[in-house]
Amino acid sequence: MQDGDVVLRTDNLRAHYVLDIPGGQKVVRAVDGVSLQIRRNEIYGIAGESGCGKTTLMKTLYAAINRPLRLVSGSVLYAKDGQELDVYALRKRELRGLRWRYMAYVPQGAMSIFNPVMKIKETYRDFLSSHLKGKTAAEMFEIAKDHIDKLGLPISILEAYPHQLSGGMRQRVAIALAALLRPSVIFADEPTTALDVVVQRGVVQLLKDIQADLHNTIILVTHDMGIHANVTDRLAIMYAGRIIEEAPTVEIFRNPLHPYTQFLINSLPQFGDAGQRVSAPGQPPSLADLPSGCAFHPRCPKAMPICRELRPDTIVIGEHRAACWLHAERGTAQDAAYS
Amino acid sequence: MFIRNYLIPRLLQYFLVIFLGITIVFFIPRMAPTNPVERTIAEIRSRGTYLDPAYVQQMVDALTEMYGLSGSWLQQYKDFWVRLSTGDFGVSFFQFPTPVMTLIKRALPWTVGLLFTTTVFSWLFGNIVGGIAGYAHNRRWSKLLDGIMMFIRPIPYYVFALGLLILFGYVYRKFPIAGGASIGRTPSFTLSYILDVLRHAFLPATSLAVLGAASWFQTSKLIVQNVNAEDFVQYAQLGGVKESRIIFRYIIRNAMLPQITNLALSLGQILSGALITEIVFSYPGLGNLLYSAISTGDYNLIMGIISLSIVAITTLVLIVDLVYPLFDPRIRYK
Repeated sequence: MQDGDVVLRTDNLRAHYVLDIPGGQKVVRAVDGVSLQIRRNEIYGIAGESGCGKTTLMKTLYAAINRPLRLVSGSVLYAKDGQELDVYALRKRELRGLRWRYMAYVPQGAMSIFNPVMKIKETYRDFLSSHLKGKTAAEMFEIAKDHIDKLGLPISILEAYPHQLSGGMRQRVAIALAALLRPSVIFADEPTTALDVVVQRGVVQLLKDIQADLHNTIILVTHDMGIHANVTDRLAIMYAGRIIEEAPTVEIFRNPLHPYTQFLINSLPQFGDAGQRVSAPGQPPSLADLPSGCAFHPRCPKAMPICRELRPDTIVIGEHRAACWLHAERGTAQDAAYS
Repeated sequence: MFIRNYLIPRLLQYFLVIFLGITIVFFIPRMAPTNPVERTIAEIRSRGTYLDPAYVQQMVDALTEMYGLSGSWLQQYKDFWVRLSTGDFGVSFFQFPTPVMTLIKRALPWTVGLLFTTTVFSWLFGNIVGGIAGYAHNRRWSKLLDGIMMFIRPIPYYVFALGLLILFGYVYRKFPIAGGASIGRTPSFTLSYILDVLRHAFLPATSLAVLGAASWFQTSKLIVQNVNAEDFVQYAQLGGVKESRIIFRYIIRNAMLPQITNLALSLGQILSGALITEIVFSYPGLGNLLYSAISTGDYNLIMGIISLSIVAITTLVLIVDLVYPLFDPRIRYK
């Protein structure tokens, strides 16, 4: 991997929810030591079950954390104009300047993200006027119209109120809005959840089209492994606030290393196989009270004594990274490879 | 389309509500234990006048006739609508023979002047300050203000009003303790008369405005805090939309919606007077008039005041219904 390709880099990133409760504090370790390198011109997928910290990771990467969520350690570095930019060292105004022009966000649940008393075109105008200077209302409307038209969405949606659009259309409008200022990085948090399969396809296609047009980076979070298989170039599997495996998507599906990843992939239905699918036994752990050692060991059929005691380091095997004691002997430790 | 499918049914409903309301107000006082004829005779006796029992029955008959209380309830009810169609609520029983409308017209300006100003002022103050406090709910001043309002709000109104009256009317004697203007002054558009009226209105207005503003403040703060947590506000923040735009077009614009309805309802209630305020401060408004009408069984006067209030509230609700789609595009006429 060449450093010039990397657009987003984190090193041992930790973000915890620190909650005041009677008699002390409760710490929810939603992001607990995540090291990532995300490249230009790729769709990077993050998969994991509900409550594993996917959305918190996205917010932390987007530098949109609010109390009680706190950045505990690590930094989020973006490559911009040949420099590395630490988003948590920026002032509020500088950060606002990055929003939408450099990085954009498609939040979870597009049903309610548009102001219900404003037409879609007014939302477009608000986003445009906050980031572009010296444009008249008419010019901004033209930009919005061109943009919508180019992405193949009906222009009439600009005159609609959010409640007049279907769920799938609202999701597409949210994605289109994220691409409006041609950002280098787009975060898409569960964009296909709560949509039926036909609509999902349209949404996925829109994301792919945008990426193909802008040659930028899209970070796609979803628990739907089918979407990942279809869309992403590289895939990270998240479990209990950590990335436990990461590889090119094809490689993960062909050769999953971590037992948890194996469960995720084996639970997918396959043509011609009518047998019962097996999923990971048990429930995901509470992020406020993680098991010792490897957080997956209570559910892991291959757990060894060491799994209960020590947290596995991430080891690197070629393009494949995994944090599992089963493979500890096969590769170099992460720190050596990533520093 | 709009007229036939929405406006006409809505107007029919409007008139039906007024009709039913007035009908109920017609019958309820007649079921009450106070009999105005007996009250009048008792009144005359209480002044020490000796009434010959032979004449009492005659008097009862005469009064019943005069008050329009002869005949069955149904007959009275019919007569009532005939009179009302000419805008006549009849005469007051206890300030006989002053027409009810004259009494109402005399009291109306006092009540409307007092309540309209205080309602609008406390609505504006509570919503603006409460809105800003809700947006900045993590700031220290916001928490302090919230604490003050939380202390003021639950004070029972009559305690607060009496407290003001005793403190500033009796102990410090800064303000008059009763009336709408000094006794014996004739109303005129002179500066000294207006100042006199304002001085008299100050304590009742303060009592209403302070408690009213505290209550609007708390509702508004809560609504804004809720809207602030809505997805579309968070999204605009993620999108780096300018803060002033988020505050006005995303938060306040949406938080206003329920408060508009509440303001209209409060304005509608003005015409039933501020009963306790007017009694505590002996203010010559509709509330005082209604109180004495009820305690003396003055049917016509009760009818007059309450009918007016029914019309005011239903009209304001109608207006809100008609203009609401301008504020909230999700609401449709149907």
